[in-house]
Amino acid sequence: MKIQSILFVEDDRYIGEMYVRSLRKAGYDVDWMVDGADGLVAARNKSYDLIMLDIMLPEMRGSDILKALRGKEDLVPNTRIIVLTNFDQDDESRLAMEHDVDAYLIKAEITPRKLIEMIGELDKLPPRK
Amino acid sequence: MATIKHDQMVKDYWNSYQSRAWINLIIWSLGISFVVMVILFLSAIIKFDLIALGVSFLILAVVFLSLKLLVFEILLVPLHQLADALTHVSDEPNAVEPPHPNSKHARANGLAPLLELIYKLGANYDPGVKQSAKQSEVEKGLHHSRSSVVICSENGEVTFASHAAPIMTDPKGRIRLKLQFSDSDSLEKWASQVSADDVRAEKNWHRIASDPVGVEDRRIFDIAASYEKGSEAPFVIMLIDQTDSYQPEDDQLDFIAFAAHELRGPVTVIRGYLDVLLQELDGNLSNDHRQLFDRLAVSANRLSGYIANILNASRYDQRHMRIQLVELSVGSVYGLIKDDMELRASIQNRLLAVDIADNLPTVAADASTLSEVLSNLIDNALKYSHDGGTVTVKATASDQFVQVDIIDQGIGMPPSVVANLFHKFYRSHRSRETVSGSGIGLYISKAIIESCGGTIDVRSKEGIGTTISFTLPTYSSVADKLVESNHSNQEILLTNRGGWIQNHNKYRG
Repeated sequence: MKIQSILFVEDDRYIGEMYVRSLRKAGYDVDWMVDGADGLVAARNKSYDLIMLDIMLPEMRGSDILKALRGKEDLVPNTRIIVLTNFDQDDESRLAMEHDVDAYLIKAEITPRKLIEMIGELDKLPPRK
Repeated sequence: MATIKHDQMVKDYWNSYQSRAWINLIIWSLGISFVVMVILFLSAIIKFDLIALGVSFLILAVVFLSLKLLVFEILLVPLHQLADALTHVSDEPNAVEPPHPNSKHARANGLAPLLELIYKLGANYDPGVKQSAKQSEVEKGLHHSRSSVVICSENGEVTFASHAAPIMTDPKGRIRLKLQFSDSDSLEKWASQVSADDVRAEKNWHRIASDPVGVEDRRIFDIAASYEKGSEAPFVIMLIDQTDSYQPEDDQLDFIAFAAHELRGPVTVIRGYLDVLLQELDGNLSNDHRQLFDRLAVSANRLSGYIANILNASRYDQRHMRIQLVELSVGSVYGLIKDDMELRASIQNRLLAVDIADNLPTVAADASTLSEVLSNLIDNALKYSHDGGTVTVKATASDQFVQVDIIDQGIGMPPSVVANLFHKFYRSHRSRETVSGSGIGLYISKAIIESCGGTIDVRSKEGIGTTISFTLPTYSSVADKLVESNHSNQEILLTNRGGWIQNHNKYRG
């Protein structure tokens, strides 16, 4: 399934605007939430093809959103999830998150163009389930 | 301390004794002959006649001398052999032919067991009473020093350690050295290799810590180890405590790592907006403006690379760096940095010639860290090349490895610089003056390549150029070592402590 709709959960205004702008220009339908609680509500209320999560977020951390979505039960089985963060987690927390996501990216090491290329690569993979 | 003065050498004893014995023998023979002759004269057995007296005296002297010579020879041959044996086992330089315990003489006169005992005591008691006292002084001195000496047996067990040595008791109750070597270049690995292959060997290590960063009383050593097969002390390890020199730099790295982490946010914004601006303004920019944007992009990308190097070096020192070994091609990893490298070459007026065939075997590596290694090595080659020069990146396959060469025809390096190139924070005097850098890129590149099971080395000639080559194991050569994963998309994670851990599907940016 080709990715079309994206939920972007990011509290940094500059970074959020930058990615939302690029993704929209690339033709994606993007919703942007700036706090974790709103991000979780949006993820539950609407079916997105891709959710992009920061970790350090106000109200609710990205790791907690991930647990809520893919903890006991996978509430978003058809959705791809990318963690996009500059936060240096300890190995255990990072491994735990990597287990439930399709990509774990360091913001400082990629650019909007690279991210869009990567989303294109995700499109080529077989459906999650 | 009182010392006993010995003027006479052991080796001189026999000659001196022999001379004295001859003189005594002659004097006593003449004396006894004279006395016997006087008794014979007084008892009127011989008459007073000068000729008769002279002849009698000579006959008596010859008879007594002959008898004593016979006794002398019988007694002195064993003494001579004992003296030679003692001279041989003494620590004096000498040319004495040691008597063999199994010789005809030794067996005939029953001296064989004595000679064997002398040789045995000599072998066990060397270097002698006087040197034992010196040895004891050396030991005392060692125990007062911050640097230390450790002696290990062939099986790696510590048999002697001066007080300052970093040692610990392992779970089996054996005393071991407590040092944080990298898995690929450890004392243990070297020891097992030389004890299998060599009679004598030596090796040095620099900047080896007793504990990970953050542990109290952590010390940092330069280490020199030597090995001699069959010796009573096969492994002698000297540990020079360099904590005072190295610790400030390590503390500095901790601080820099903290600062680098804080820089990630602004760098994300700078790189991102440059990327956005370039895409949106594309077509409307003059060549001049485009070049300015390119310079900004290259600088921002370099900054991002420095940050990654510093954070990885800090993680590596704390044994927290993780290397994920997955199946990938060198070409695909180069593809991740291709645009950036071409841009860097272009704004520095260098040519970048890349020859990485599509049909090379896949390797076991980690895309993110391998791209960091390639960036570091290519960036160095570009920086140290001449204006208009060419940097060649070439990948070739050999038996179980893929080798990547980064070749430049730049300024090159003298051997003294090459020897230190992979040390943390090392920057040659010349590069400090002319080229920007942190002195960490090659250190972390080596750590990454070796953590993947590969090797890295450098060949350079001053004024001619430099070739840095690294190898990585082909995926097929190590696939059977990788633990089977329950997940559909297998990946293996290798910590730099050497443990294999299963991991799950993911991408790295």
